[in-house]
Amino acid sequence: MSLPKETIRALESIVGPQYVSEDPVVCQVYARGGYGKDIVLGRGNLKPACVVLPGSTEEVQSIVKLANRYKTPFVPVGTFWFNSCGPYRENVISIDLKRMNKIEIDDRNMYAVCEPYVIFSQLQHEAMKRGLYMMVPGGGAQVSVVNNVTGAGYSPLNYRIGGPQRRILGVEWVMPDGEILKLGSASMLKEYFWGEGPGPDLRGILRGPQGWQGGLGIFTKAAVKLYPFQPERLVPTGISPDTTLELPTKRMRRYNITYPDQPSLVKAMREVSKAEIGAAITKVPVMWRYRARSTSKEHFWELWKGAKEDLQKNTETILLVVIIGYTSEKQVEYEERVLTDIVTETGGTLRRTKQTDESWIKNADSAGMWWSAGGYISVKINVDSLDHALKSGRDAAALKKKYLEGAVDDYGDPGWFQISSFGHEGYNEFLVEFDATSDPKVSHRIDNFYVDAVKQDVKEGCYSGMQMSYGPVGITGPAYGDHHILLKEIKEMFDPGYLSNPPRPFEFDEKIERECPWVKKDW
Amino acid sequence: MALVLENHRYDADRCIRCGGCKWVDHIYMGHPRWGVKCPSIARYLFDPYAAYGRLQLALGLMDGELEITPSFVDAVFQCQLCGACDVGCKRNLDLEIQDTLMALRQRVVDKGKGPLPGHKKAAGNIESTWNIFGSRKKERFSWMPSGIQPAAKADVLYWAGCYPAYTQSETAQATVKLLKAAGVDFAVLGESEWCCGQMLFTTGQTELALKVAQHNIDAIKASGAKTVLTSCPECLTALKVEYPKLLGKSTSDMPYQVVHLTEFMEPLVKNGAIKLNKPLPMRVTYHDPCHLSRMSEPWVQWEGTRGQYGVLQPPKQWRRGTNGVYQQPRNIMGAIPGLELVEMQRTRENAFCCGAGGGVREGLNDFALWTAQERLTEAKETAGTNTLVLACPHCKANFTDAIKKSGDNMKVYDIAELMVKALSQGKEA
Repeated sequence: MSLPKETIRALESIVGPQYVSEDPVVCQVYARGGYGKDIVLGRGNLKPACVVLPGSTEEVQSIVKLANRYKTPFVPVGTFWFNSCGPYRENVISIDLKRMNKIEIDDRNMYAVCEPYVIFSQLQHEAMKRGLYMMVPGGGAQVSVVNNVTGAGYSPLNYRIGGPQRRILGVEWVMPDGEILKLGSASMLKEYFWGEGPGPDLRGILRGPQGWQGGLGIFTKAAVKLYPFQPERLVPTGISPDTTLELPTKRMRRYNITYPDQPSLVKAMREVSKAEIGAAITKVPVMWRYRARSTSKEHFWELWKGAKEDLQKNTETILLVVIIGYTSEKQVEYEERVLTDIVTETGGTLRRTKQTDESWIKNADSAGMWWSAGGYISVKINVDSLDHALKSGRDAAALKKKYLEGAVDDYGDPGWFQISSFGHEGYNEFLVEFDATSDPKVSHRIDNFYVDAVKQDVKEGCYSGMQMSYGPVGITGPAYGDHHILLKEIKEMFDPGYLSNPPRPFEFDEKIERECPWVKKDW
Repeated sequence: MALVLENHRYDADRCIRCGGCKWVDHIYMGHPRWGVKCPSIARYLFDPYAAYGRLQLALGLMDGELEITPSFVDAVFQCQLCGACDVGCKRNLDLEIQDTLMALRQRVVDKGKGPLPGHKKAAGNIESTWNIFGSRKKERFSWMPSGIQPAAKADVLYWAGCYPAYTQSETAQATVKLLKAAGVDFAVLGESEWCCGQMLFTTGQTELALKVAQHNIDAIKASGAKTVLTSCPECLTALKVEYPKLLGKSTSDMPYQVVHLTEFMEPLVKNGAIKLNKPLPMRVTYHDPCHLSRMSEPWVQWEGTRGQYGVLQPPKQWRRGTNGVYQQPRNIMGAIPGLELVEMQRTRENAFCCGAGGGVREGLNDFALWTAQERLTEAKETAGTNTLVLACPHCKANFTDAIKKSGDNMKVYDIAELMVKALSQGKEA
């Protein structure tokens, strides 16, 4: 695979020769990896023909225009947490956005303008210095802010600050044809403080159902809302791997609450959200508890094997609640009293809880999901009501039994679920840990599980969340308002040559057909 | 026992590109300018220059997808093996990154494509004079201050190391003055002390490394000393980690105990055996040397098998950097009146390397100096000081060269020098 010398020279003239490489050693590394690497999402990825490192929007624009001139596909590469950064077409230009990591914060108007290589822990650090905050997503603190808010963006902190689609303000967007489009106030006023105008607001298209992952050009700047925090410093302490933030307990507190069963936990979730207290609420998966207690993978397995019997006898579940005194210490005291009443009324027990934060405030240990078994995928991610989240989680737990061999037995735990926007939105993520190294057929079973889980959602009327974007569009499209047709129309309007990360957003269906003979493609 | 690349297939294959190997721990993360702790990816930007990229190269090589080309060799050796990636990965995944990178280098050397000319030259120096500079053997202890006479035999053996012996003699002189002030009898090996060989280990020159290791172990054993005290963390790692690793043993199996000056002195400062009473009105920052901090934990030899879910049988004792020497130098500085210690953004296990290690100073000096300059800039911009304290003569030599090249106004002190300055009057030899 190679590009004509003329193309390479032109790329070098745009960014400088030191930022272009067609060396096989460099290209090898941009082929694969990241979330989804062991299953259909990562199968069949190819090496790019060259890698280019632009340093500015103008350079990105010139590269994309050049790609259009030579009809060469291009793939934007962010932090490469997601395997869609790997090409699925030959002779592709990988555009690595690593040099674009500037961040500007407008404290007064409470927003941050980020380039694509700013990650969440950096944004959170800068925001917290100014008495502001944002969420850190389930994808982890290491993911690109711009890429995540335009594609996913789920976190327990969404309970108070709402969904990701509401966080995007002004955007600078290099379209698939190389034209620059600025959205919202960035368009007319050259300021990024508002998403709805004056000027065009295409944020609905920008995210689509769940984002385009490079299939609709490159977002070179995005402003995201920041939210008022509390004024005390969270003190980082400890040496790796035991690093944590000490909470200023007059202003922030964490509560682990145990419930005898799931219905009472869910009732508490609803009551807390009705009372509009708290900053984050999530049900903690049982496996996470065991992971937190373990000192090594071997220790985890020793504990987990013994957990089965205990869990069959004891269906106790854990609810995590975080309270933040945004306005005052009195707010913490008030919310704690309300929470205590709710816990009593719903039959829960407040457990002693460490007043530290390892995950969600500034860090999110997504990578740790691979720790216990070496392989991991969220087979379902539902974003709908809490009822749907619960139903879909239960269904997935039942379906998992069919595919369980070789995957980690979670003893029927329905995964991780939470509420966003004070309970107006529910979220379920069904986690599957497996070992892809000792038997390749395990990952084949996971491919089938992944597809069947989507079919199950369709059958049961549960919204299939993120699988709308990186799932079988041929299944979800007809089921959910023929959105596959809409996606195709938008794609062809903006990118008629299918140059922007092809075949996004239709690669899942193509990969199933081409790379996964073990999955029956019956749609 | 040289490292075998195939033994690290699981480590290479199970990487998920989370970037834990390059990002500062997110709990400690600051501004994007200081967000990356790996010098190699910070400078070269393309992904083969990060650990997650090198793991892909290792897989590509094992699977026959890649050949060892000059650019492959470049990606493999443009790395200080500073261990930031290893510790970062073990925060979440417990993959053995450092050993995989060393095994990859070993494979390149075994195939005749490495090491680099500068590494071979340094090895030649070691082989002909038993020091890395090719300086005269006889002069190894010529720095010894008049009035200080090492004992013929003592429980404590001061291991000078090539840098303090030949180019950073102020560190060696300060060290023996401190020992004298504390009333500690110590011996030295004299010409029997050979280069520790750390550069040989990190550049895959195993045959000579083994020869050096065996000689030094025998010489230490013959001295009858129980404790080997080093000023240089590179020597510390060689004696404590690389020698047993190469010999298929654990640190606890070695016929000696190795400690760094800061580990040795901190309790003496605490119990008053050595008094640092003289005020030093200085605002300083401290640079954690990689091989004293995150890479200094003992080696525990492991042999076993990997089963389902990657579970190891028997379980392994991990070196995650948790028990490195972080606090001791800080406690020593905290005992000096008037001294104000201000931390840089990247500190302790997240510290940015000085640039000298892994054969980079010998083989790719331009990269070594660039890395040092980055760290000096960080000291000024995030700690607001032009005085850098460290506990490593190898780091000091590299920072000093970078300062000479850039004309920077930074001052660099080994902690031993500061301690001597702070000794109560009359105590300084």
